[in-house]
Amino acid sequence: MLKFILKRLLISIPILIGVTVIIFFLLNVVPGDPVALMMKEHISVDVVARVRAQMHLDDPAIVRYFRFLAGALRGDLGESYKLNRPVTSLILNAFPNTFVLALWAALFAWVVGIPAGILSAVKKYSLPDNLFMGFSLLGVSMPVFWSALLFQYVFAVKLRWLPVAGFEDWRYVIMPAIVLGWSSAGIIARLTRSSLLEVMRNDYIRTARAKGLHELPVIFGHALKNSLLPVVTVMAIQVAGLLAGAVITESVFGIPGVGRIAVNAIQARDMPLLQGAVLFETTLVILGNLAADILYAFLDPRIKAA
Amino acid sequence: MRKSRLFVVLSLSFLLAGILAAGAFAAEKVFTIAYNEEPQTSDMQMTTSCYMIPMNVYDRLIECVTTAPGKSALVPGLATKWEVSKDGKVYTFYLRKGVKFHNGEELTAQDVVYTFDRMLDPKTKALNTDILDFVLGAKDRMEGKAASTAGLKALDRYTVRITLEKPFVPFLAIMASPQASILNEKFTRPLRNKYGLTAQATCGTGPFILKEWVLNDHHTMVANPNYFRGRPQIDKFVVKIVTDPETMRMLFESGEIDLFDCDFAMSQIPYFTSHPKWGKQTVSGPRVGIYYYTFNQAIKPFDNVKVRKAFQMAVDRKLILQKMFYNHGQLENGVMPRGLIHYNPNQEKIEYNPEKAKKLLAEAGYPNGVDMEIALVASTGSQWQKMSEIVQAMVAKAGFRVTLKQMDEAAFYATRKEGKLPMYTNKWSADFNDPDNFFYTFFGPKGTVARSYNNISPEVFAALEKGRSETDFAKRGKLYADLEKKIVIDQAAWLPMFSLKHIYVVQPRVKKFVVPWNGWSDFPIYETRVE
Repeated sequence: MLKFILKRLLISIPILIGVTVIIFFLLNVVPGDPVALMMKEHISVDVVARVRAQMHLDDPAIVRYFRFLAGALRGDLGESYKLNRPVTSLILNAFPNTFVLALWAALFAWVVGIPAGILSAVKKYSLPDNLFMGFSLLGVSMPVFWSALLFQYVFAVKLRWLPVAGFEDWRYVIMPAIVLGWSSAGIIARLTRSSLLEVMRNDYIRTARAKGLHELPVIFGHALKNSLLPVVTVMAIQVAGLLAGAVITESVFGIPGVGRIAVNAIQARDMPLLQGAVLFETTLVILGNLAADILYAFLDPRIKAA
Repeated sequence: MRKSRLFVVLSLSFLLAGILAAGAFAAEKVFTIAYNEEPQTSDMQMTTSCYMIPMNVYDRLIECVTTAPGKSALVPGLATKWEVSKDGKVYTFYLRKGVKFHNGEELTAQDVVYTFDRMLDPKTKALNTDILDFVLGAKDRMEGKAASTAGLKALDRYTVRITLEKPFVPFLAIMASPQASILNEKFTRPLRNKYGLTAQATCGTGPFILKEWVLNDHHTMVANPNYFRGRPQIDKFVVKIVTDPETMRMLFESGEIDLFDCDFAMSQIPYFTSHPKWGKQTVSGPRVGIYYYTFNQAIKPFDNVKVRKAFQMAVDRKLILQKMFYNHGQLENGVMPRGLIHYNPNQEKIEYNPEKAKKLLAEAGYPNGVDMEIALVASTGSQWQKMSEIVQAMVAKAGFRVTLKQMDEAAFYATRKEGKLPMYTNKWSADFNDPDNFFYTFFGPKGTVARSYNNISPEVFAALEKGRSETDFAKRGKLYADLEKKIVIDQAAWLPMFSLKHIYVVQPRVKKFVVPWNGWSDFPIYETRVE
């Protein structure tokens, strides 16, 4: 197992370097001058020229790229052009907020998605099944910005139960976590349902029933464990995705997380900040996938053996 | 008898205790607003926008205050008085004594010298050097050829002398702009380029102290009990960073913020102004600012003055003002908007005449009409898009076939800086109350290229230089009136649209809110009162 993890971690190094090359290339291809953008309406060509030289923006792209890479290897992701602050500290300060949001969104997705999937499978084609599947379809299909606005309007403006936006205490997490987790809950519910239905058709389930076991022990003791394998994998990948940035949710609910930093960096052509944010998020996705593989191996010994 | 006395004494004691307790536990007066952009820094030398912190945390030598709707005056700030030499080159400021920075240090002339020299020091990498580049020795300092600025001198503890290279009339008005806020040398110098990046790394003399700053979330300022004009009435000023206009509106309607700035969501104006509750809560004031369309004379067909004039005549500005901006403003015909000193109400009006425009276009060599582009920033509010769509339809009658070119913001500004951006629309509000802030910005030798006008006119450039040094008020007014006619009517170098009122909606608990003189979304809240 250790060898497997090490191998996967080593493979991720060229992936990360590749990501930085792509981002760097893209940002250099599209026109844009971070200093002109900083000055906007108060543009002064003299000031732009002087500040560009002071920020080493006139150096060749290849020099700037290797300067960034050398810094990144030392753990220094450079300084944000716009915010004049170290990129590492900007990301690390924002990450706990993204983490809290992702954690609650994932918990919501699991707590709602798995029971809904089980109930739908057990009561196939019944009213609860249709209701749950309708709920999950809505969650998967509805754009996050739309559901966010609806939630804000109903629960904050009309009912005044929750605050509209911000990130001060637990009340501020409820709406964004539900909005963000809804889509994941929908996917988990549908996957749990289909997986459980497939497992229930197996011979050993028929055997369990034939030997007189009650339906609940059949589902929870025999069927569920095996049917959750693909669900757990998806859950791990989803957590990585949620951590990697809930860009829209963070923007609409005013949460100062990593996703919002990345969007601001794109808009401001803030190369060091964007590269840092993308590198960080890519690392999270790679680790999430790795965690999914390890979990899978633990849950299904056949994979470990292979 | 004794019992009743005891009862009275006890009752009075309880009453007194109650009053004291009520005083001690009186609700904090908090004023909360939403702002649509995270400030880069609280260091006003390092940013050209987001001045909400500088306007409340710092003071300037001179302040520009709103005296009546659309009117302003320069009043003493950290300087109690000032003198200008006869040749208009030497300014002497006499500082207020006993003014304390938030760290307890007393303001001295050396702080003023340090502040302005820091701006020009190349190590600072300041973005606002334009406000000081006419000071004697400024260029040498910026180029690293001098260790200090020759024109900045502390004559004694409370007297500062600033010498200019040549007379520059707008200087006093510029000293009242937020970029000219005064820093404390002892606090700022050791922090170097880390100054202004956190609440703890910020120090001014202003009515509020920056207490907390959570990036991309909010910043909080608290009342400065030692403010030299007296403690502000508001205890706490919270600025929430909210990029989404819908979220901003809902924050206001749910009572979480006290003020809604309609500039952040112009489309909400009819909703708020016609709302039974909010309609009564709107506060508005004129804006010393102008909406405009540009002509890039380096790109055909706008190299031809007849085409530019035709376009001016083809836009029904009145209709746009009525239908899109609900008549909350007035048409402008020059470069100087209402409220600016030397504003000329007699400036020749631009007529709306699509037929005449068509003829002019034919005379210019385009009898079958002409193709052209209007550049738009894709990420900014829809008002520019909507207005340009209306203009697109209007000018089509005269023969202009307009393509709206959506651009990424970074590409937009980079192309504009090169002088290669096609026509675009924007607004400009005064940084300081002087015509130079409009004329030189748009039509100066560098600005005209960097803003993609390319109106290369030595005659205009010479007049602009003269305007900067003309100390006779009447002569200066005449100079700018003539220049305005030349630029807008003779050269047709831009299309002025209108100046709009700035509309805010406030919660009923806000008892006084003064619209800033220039109509900015950044404002001092010292005069604001809440229940």
